[in-house]
Amino acid sequence: MRTSIFHLLGAFAILALAAGPVCAQERSATRQGFNLPAQSGKKILLLRPTMRVGEQSTGGLFEPNADWTEQARANIGEALDASQRNLGNEIIIAPDAYGEDARALNEHMALFAAVSQAVIQYQFFVGNRLPTKKRDNKADVFDWSLGNSVASLPGADGADYALFIYNRDVYGSTGRKMLQVVGMLAGVGVSSGEHVGYAGLVDLKTGDLLWLNADAQMGGDVREKDGAAKRVRQLLEDFPGSTIAKADVVAASGAGK
Amino acid sequence: MSFRARGLALGALAFLLGSDLLGVGLSGVDLSRMAHAYAQPSPLPPYAGAYQPQGVDEIGLWQMMDEDERAIAQSPLVVRDEALNAYVRQVLCDTVGQHRCNSVRIYILQVPVFNATMAPNRTMRVFTGLLLRVRNEAELGAVLAHEFGHFESRHSLNKFKAARSGTDLLAWTAVLGSLAPRYQVARTYQNLQISVLGNLFRFGRDQEREADRLGVAYLNASQLRPQAAAQVWQNLMQEIDASALHRGLKKPRFDTIAFTASHPPEAERAGYLAELADPDGLRRDDGAQRYRATLAPWLGTFLDDQIKLNDFGASEYLIQSLAQEGWTAQLWHYRGELYRMRGNPRDLVNAAQFYGEAVALDAQMADAHRGLGLSLLKTGQPGAGQEALRQYLALKPDAPDARLIGMMIPNQGPGQ
Repeated sequence: MRTSIFHLLGAFAILALAAGPVCAQERSATRQGFNLPAQSGKKILLLRPTMRVGEQSTGGLFEPNADWTEQARANIGEALDASQRNLGNEIIIAPDAYGEDARALNEHMALFAAVSQAVIQYQFFVGNRLPTKKRDNKADVFDWSLGNSVASLPGADGADYALFIYNRDVYGSTGRKMLQVVGMLAGVGVSSGEHVGYAGLVDLKTGDLLWLNADAQMGGDVREKDGAAKRVRQLLEDFPGSTIAKADVVAASGAGK
Repeated sequence: MSFRARGLALGALAFLLGSDLLGVGLSGVDLSRMAHAYAQPSPLPPYAGAYQPQGVDEIGLWQMMDEDERAIAQSPLVVRDEALNAYVRQVLCDTVGQHRCNSVRIYILQVPVFNATMAPNRTMRVFTGLLLRVRNEAELGAVLAHEFGHFESRHSLNKFKAARSGTDLLAWTAVLGSLAPRYQVARTYQNLQISVLGNLFRFGRDQEREADRLGVAYLNASQLRPQAAAQVWQNLMQEIDASALHRGLKKPRFDTIAFTASHPPEAERAGYLAELADPDGLRRDDGAQRYRATLAPWLGTFLDDQIKLNDFGASEYLIQSLAQEGWTAQLWHYRGELYRMRGNPRDLVNAAQFYGEAVALDAQMADAHRGLGLSLLKTGQPGAGQEALRQYLALKPDAPDARLIGMMIPNQGPGQ
């Protein structure tokens, strides 16, 4: 019995103190043939962004912070609106849904999360890519869809595209940062903080995934207005028709990272 | 540096996942040794009214749960039948009291597992597997009251704080320990890791005991029979025994605590719950009749889900225990389904017999005719089998599998 306890503890062993080099963690793709010229006046339906903002305890646990989450939600909303206005697109906030509509919306939010996770896992990043998707990468093919049932989502009839946003921000606590400093002296790599986000654009007629950007190390402090604006710039860099030059983003994010 | 500082996060994660939603798990101390420690039911805490979360941790936890509720409220798993929802709420209110139950949101989830959970923001999730297993209002009330006890004592928050302190300690020890990379230091760290994790699991089990004490205190104060709380665990132990027996596993122990056990062992719980129940309450009503009557329209659905779990022993035990009140056509039918689904030749003979009993009690039960026909066809009685299938099609001409079944009957297949 004793050995099995040790096996169990071994099985628990995922990192609290993650060392390990961080590889390229940012990537985006646009569906072949999709083009969204600037100032084309398209309407984009913004579905309720998934936001999780909190602190990372010394031992690495996520400590949710409601105040930060609310601030981030408001700041990101404003920044999105401003950036799309610059592109000549109009952001429409998805209306509250009830009954069957709400259930359909919930299913589609979950479906988008599953599809985008699949893209991130099997096409975007080195490690677990499927051979077929690797070939797609070489041929510049980006072919994913949620199915045409998106056309019946509440608010879909008045918009051209739907924008899905996911953000998870964990800020290292003072204790975690001190642990990191002592860890450096001791030669143990301790990571502090985690800033993951992805955003996707879906065609509301066909359900095709038109564009997806995933970034596991985002810059910009979403708890503040300026930081949120920078975060949105990073989330929407390479947005079809975007006028944000890549260099700007890199320069801007380099300062904050 | 092979000094392992990494054990914490997943351990803590597993621990926390368990704590988000404190469940009535299926895990299981010697009751004679333990029972005396719980000889006094805890007094009911004063009711706090519309309690609001306080402090950054609790507010954050509630907000996370609010987000979860947005999703769960729209889940296809939720049973939205108004009558059933109103009934489960009534049982909760009868147990914990009208003023306490008012603000609870109950979501009945169609999941064929024995469980119920309550999140810090007053959302209660009740699994249909629980509704199938408990036999009366008092037993259902006992489980719901236990969950409510978790909520009222704010267990999720306390468990989160305990996990955070524990993992903080381990993180510091790991980093500081690696400044002196010697065998003894590494060994001391490992010992510390085991005791911290062990303590966290024990902390969780103690919370379960506290919730049990609170749950039975609510029952004592209600009009329902408090002895039912212990009965829930007696029944569950019998079911686990039956399941193990049919799988050929060794007899499960209900008196030992595994290192990672999230709950106290069943025998311990049954022991102290029986002791804590108010003896005067024995003569009270347990609402078994009302329970059976309200759940009757759902029994078929719940049994169907249970059978598909492919847990022969447990399903057979549940059907048998439901049949203690008398065999009905429905129970015979689902017993037939259980055997036919396992599908050994010997099972099909039994299945045909059970379907036969169902048809004898209720000749209008189309699905029993179908099961009977399919079982007879496979046991070398095509004539009788086809006759039963004809009956099925006559009773249910627009059945989704009508064309398929039609192909098994000569002169009734498509195009003939």
